[in-house]
Amino acid sequence: MPKFTLDGKEISFEPGETVMQAAWREGIEIPHYCWHPGLSIAANCRMCLVQVESGRQMAMPQLAFDESKGEYVPSTKPKLQPACQLAAADEMVVSSTNDEVKAAQASVQEFLLLNHPVDCPICDQAGECKLQDYYYEHQGSLKRKLTEPVHKPKGVRFGPTIVYDAERCIMCTRCIRVCDEVAKDHVLDMRERGNKNEIILAPGRELDHKYTLMTEHVCPVGALTSSDFRFKARVWFLKSGEGVCTGCATGCNTHVDYDPRYGKVYRLRPRDNQDVNQFWMCDDGMMTYTRQATDRVLTATSGRGEDRLPLAEREAIAKAAEQLSSVDASKLAIVLSAQNTTEDNLALAKLGSALGAERLYLAALGGWEGDDILRSDDNNPNRAGASLAAGGAALKPVSELIADVQSGEVQGVLALGWASAEKLEELAPLVSLDAVVSLTSHVGALPAAAEVVIPIADIFEIEGSFINAQGMAQSFRGVLSAPADIEPGWQKIGELAKALGKDLGFTNLDGLRKGLSDAAEAAQ
Amino acid sequence: MEPADELLNDQASLELDADPMRLNMGPSHPAMHGTIRMVMDLDGENLVNLDVQPGYLHRGFEKSCERGTWAQVFPYADRLNYVSPMLNNVGWSLAVEKLLGIEVPERCQYYRVVLGELSRIADHFTCNGASAMELGAFTPFLWLLKVRDWVWDILERETGARMTHSFGRIGGMAAPPTPNFKDDVRQLIPELFKVVKETEIMLLRNRIFLDRMQGVGVLTKEQALSYGCTGPVARSTGIPYDVRKDHPYLVYDRFDFDVPIGEDGDNWDRFMVRLEEIRQSIRIIEQALEQMPDDGPVNVDDPRIVYPDKQDVYTTIEATIAHFKLVMEGLRVPKGEVYSFTEGGNGELGFHIVSDGSGTPYRVRVRPPCWYNLAAAREMLLGGMIADIIPTFGSVNMIGGECDR
Repeated sequence: MPKFTLDGKEISFEPGETVMQAAWREGIEIPHYCWHPGLSIAANCRMCLVQVESGRQMAMPQLAFDESKGEYVPSTKPKLQPACQLAAADEMVVSSTNDEVKAAQASVQEFLLLNHPVDCPICDQAGECKLQDYYYEHQGSLKRKLTEPVHKPKGVRFGPTIVYDAERCIMCTRCIRVCDEVAKDHVLDMRERGNKNEIILAPGRELDHKYTLMTEHVCPVGALTSSDFRFKARVWFLKSGEGVCTGCATGCNTHVDYDPRYGKVYRLRPRDNQDVNQFWMCDDGMMTYTRQATDRVLTATSGRGEDRLPLAEREAIAKAAEQLSSVDASKLAIVLSAQNTTEDNLALAKLGSALGAERLYLAALGGWEGDDILRSDDNNPNRAGASLAAGGAALKPVSELIADVQSGEVQGVLALGWASAEKLEELAPLVSLDAVVSLTSHVGALPAAAEVVIPIADIFEIEGSFINAQGMAQSFRGVLSAPADIEPGWQKIGELAKALGKDLGFTNLDGLRKGLSDAAEAAQ
Repeated sequence: MEPADELLNDQASLELDADPMRLNMGPSHPAMHGTIRMVMDLDGENLVNLDVQPGYLHRGFEKSCERGTWAQVFPYADRLNYVSPMLNNVGWSLAVEKLLGIEVPERCQYYRVVLGELSRIADHFTCNGASAMELGAFTPFLWLLKVRDWVWDILERETGARMTHSFGRIGGMAAPPTPNFKDDVRQLIPELFKVVKETEIMLLRNRIFLDRMQGVGVLTKEQALSYGCTGPVARSTGIPYDVRKDHPYLVYDRFDFDVPIGEDGDNWDRFMVRLEEIRQSIRIIEQALEQMPDDGPVNVDDPRIVYPDKQDVYTTIEATIAHFKLVMEGLRVPKGEVYSFTEGGNGELGFHIVSDGSGTPYRVRVRPPCWYNLAAAREMLLGGMIADIIPTFGSVNMIGGECDR
């Protein structure tokens, strides 16, 4: 492989790669604003200027101050080139740290801050802002321009999700390119030049495609802010964990940013995974974090409608066991969930087979508008995992469950999860049954139709895995601790099995997962 | 009749136990200032064995440093030797500046010298005064603390606090000298000389004081070296080691001053060395005030190290960012490790710091002079009498905050 040298370090590259790209792959960051590994090259921020020290030097004329003469005299300085656009060549010697380059970085940074407002204390980007980082690393001088800064529009509503502040904008055009190249929707562009430069919407349009939050995600400064996250949290109080999006069957990898003080998730950010989501996520996926704190089921209940009353956890398990054991196993329906982890589903499938129940159903959301970018038509993260848990057996939809209940073939239901495409009215036949038990983290039509509801932990609170539409199993660890007395679904199912007098053969997640690999082998 | 009397009657004589008596002194005892415990084996009044046990004031100083920024160590450094906090402040500043590879402006260097020497004077006044008081001479104690208060008045005017100043900064000081600084110090100097003289008149020909100090608590030169003693304790044995002289830092190489040494290494020599050091410190202060520029910057000119002016922080983005970075993440110190040492009140005060290149110290290790001096205290005390512990331990000037960290 050909090699070039960057600051004394040899870097090998594929022919056609740029210096920036090759360095980035090696984990070396050349300071940059406008370059993004997932976007086309703009080379407009000039922060990544480097000097090619090998070969014939290009020189630029300049006037330099000569102290001995006390005046400016003609001289030359080396011509620097943007690393993001500079094709790497074999044996090339590049410096991103010599004095010329350092002076250029300091000057570029000074220019970018020339008209920047004093907004750090009220800016959501503060703490993860490249202007701040690069100021400290590459500039470190105080303001020289003492005239009034240029003022531009602030707080411009670009659409339902994004607010734009032109004064903070450094015109890197990343947001324009993300709309063009990722969302394939040319809704943003820039107008004017120099001091009047600003990002604008296409006439008559709003920023309302399915990937608008990616514009905020790629914005290296605080110019684009998400209306959802705006003024909600300061980033230095947030900690980050790794998760998998529950929005659809694509299974985008996420950074889960949460505040450990309040045990609350504040936002998701895409986590780079070239095999799944590259650098991106869709808006609906980004917003799935809100489920963690809304519509949770926090206590066990029994009864229906207005008669629903809280129940002690142990009593709820006992009552569920009593009702389930009153139903003949051949008439007991086991409802797996495409919204829950493979582990939860596996534990439930095991309980079903221990009881001898052979009727397996799958509760799932009814799909959404997919596209050929990231969004899958199936808005359930784990349909494949549920079917693996069932040992590859065909899972009937909930609509058939309703029909089976009506025909009297099913007289008891044990259901996992909150999600179902059917509304409560459609589930009315279930309401007439006594033995309907729901294990759920959130409210929903299925739990509402159940006689006994047992709370389980949410996705952000448990360790588990999803299998996406490509058949990739992606595991994640919980970032938050579950509310008091609430446990992961598989653990609750184990308790329920115990109350039913069945041994499912696992006491911890490892034991359960061993069963999972057996199931995977059996399925193949 | 009491049982003991009966015993006497029965056997006509009382056998006293010939084994040494084990006695605890401290950690809660008025003479064990600094919170220390001594376990003694006594034969009558004589010490046959002694175990000096420090550690009762351990507050995890070094570990605490690893969670804040580099600048947030100053309040901790204050509370090492809380009798001369300014010397610790300057010691910490110099350690971080050494790793950063920067040097503060000359005006600041003189300022640090003067404030540090004032601190040293206050330290020695306190130690000598307390030594005298514990031997029953209360007047010299009040006499010396009176001038210590005058010294503290100046420090308060300069720093805003009498004792724990937290006045040092990396790359400078929290504030420039006040306009009256030089005059204030110059006015104080004759008073300091006067009180040193008066102390000599009060104590140096006092029979009780002489008997309790001379030939008591002897430490030999060899012992001092083998224990790693520094400062007045080492100098009293005849070792002329003074960091200011042997490894000059700041601008100490520009001053003409002597390093007083003793001969016998007893309490008396330690007392006299400290008294003479007060005079030498005054000499240094006089010269420093003479040479110190009246104008010019005190802090280094780099907003990435020193907080920018508040006015700039509120009006310009550059200063806002610098302020934000310094407060939220701390100034970044290059990767590496360094040992920096200065002459503290009790001897060589060293900071061994390791940086991983972030805004937080990776490891801070303090070489507290007291720790080594205290280790030698057993040698001074063994074979002596229990009452000698008081003046000897006093003259070691163990400071718990620094010793136990």
